[in-house]
Amino acid sequence: MAIEPEADLLGRFVQGDREAFETLFRQFEAEVFRWIFWIVRDEGTAEDAVVDAFWRAYRGRARFDPSRSFGAWMRRIATNSARDHLRKARRAEAWAHDPDALPGPAAPDPGLRDAIAGAFRTLPPKLHVVAMLALVEGRPHAEIAEALGVPVGTVKSRVFRATRALRAELDRAGIRP
Amino acid sequence: MTDDDVLRALLQSALPAERRAPARDLWPGVVRRLDAPIRWSPVDISLAAIVAVALLLFPEGVWLMAFHL
Repeated sequence: MAIEPEADLLGRFVQGDREAFETLFRQFEAEVFRWIFWIVRDEGTAEDAVVDAFWRAYRGRARFDPSRSFGAWMRRIATNSARDHLRKARRAEAWAHDPDALPGPAAPDPGLRDAIAGAFRTLPPKLHVVAMLALVEGRPHAEIAEALGVPVGTVKSRVFRATRALRAELDRAGIRP
Repeated sequence: MTDDDVLRALLQSALPAERRAPARDLWPGVVRRLDAPIRWSPVDISLAAIVAVALLLFPEGVWLMAFHL
């Protein structure tokens, strides 16, 4: 995680100083991108969501309390942006039929990857987000809870529901983990 | 290894961990977005039109609206 910025920089950001905002952007861009990418699993979508997240941050800067963690605040905005882009992508079926939509090193079995992508598509976005972060990326429940602005118990319950739904979908596809 | 661990391992093997950075500089996109004029969505315009018509037809409703603002 990026080092927390100095209070002076955060104060200038809240006042609307564009240079301060650019400094914060440069400092947190990679971290925000990575977090969003973990959720959406598509590079182009992640880039759009990063731009959207920082735009939202600047528009909502008056609501930021400089005594709190900028990184945590930004992660929450990034999560909301990622979720909204996921919803949009679902509507457009952007990665429904695109074999390159889950980029990265090829999975050992492309059929398995497609089945898992299909199983994720059946999850509601709020379960998709926690499943990607908790099950695939192994992020701590407390961190996910903070990013979503919900109690840890809610994250645990969503992980449980997502696991059950994924297992059922994979089972339907003939994969029994 | 529990069933959940097996599922987790399966998902992780199919969706390998990534440490990616954006392929291009995204700052110009943020600036463009910030400088773009705010566009009203059709829903916003429709709502504003409905409120305007309602106030023309029922001017006493302005107090009700003021109460909710």
